[in-house]
Amino acid sequence: MRGMAQVETHYFGTMAYREDSVFDFPDGLPAFVHEKRFIPIESPQHSPLLFLQSMTRPSLCFLALPIQVVAPEYRLGICREDLVALDLAADRQPELATEVAVLVLLSVHDGLSATANLMAPIVVNLKTRRALQAIRQDSVYSHQHPVPRFMEQAC
Amino acid sequence: MLVLRRRAGESVLIGDDIEIEILAISSQGAKIGIRAPRETVILRKELKLTQQQNEAAGQTLAKKDFERALEKLRA
Repeated sequence: MRGMAQVETHYFGTMAYREDSVFDFPDGLPAFVHEKRFIPIESPQHSPLLFLQSMTRPSLCFLALPIQVVAPEYRLGICREDLVALDLAADRQPELATEVAVLVLLSVHDGLSATANLMAPIVVNLKTRRALQAIRQDSVYSHQHPVPRFMEQAC
Repeated sequence: MLVLRRRAGESVLIGDDIEIEILAISSQGAKIGIRAPRETVILRKELKLTQQQNEAAGQTLAKKDFERALEKLRA
């Protein structure tokens, strides 16, 4: 396919992707500081679940959900430093869906119950695709927020 | 947990070589200074929690039962 590059993945085989779909994490993610580029993989049968695939480590693929799905009333609390790093206005919180996409990473525990890290969501500037994991400095939201009926949703 | 009341400018010592000084206190929070040996790892707790959560999240797809579920999804 013209204009499409390919990436190796452990779970999905070789995948074609568009360069402009890549999320660019200049500082990586905590515990994965060398992984700076991820592609979001969506598939209709898993919706709204999203796979965040590392482009440099085929075996590293996160499960994520849009924050609105996990916590519809969620209030963003991105610190000034992170807003600046994302090239966003530093004096206000950005608007969901128009300016930024906000995703939460999921951990599936034994028994397939899942939790989402609402304390540190992934924030993507939709214009530049620049992204980072924005760790809140307040303690309003849990780093292990339960996501009930996760597998039913996923399947 | 040991709870101490300290004013700005006052310090506590932990062991022989770690000093934590309260530099300033405002409605925004407390500003603290830490003196510790270079090899001591000092992290905001949220960052440590996020590192741990990310490590768990990074292994989530590799879990056996989840891989089975994924196979079901692919089929």
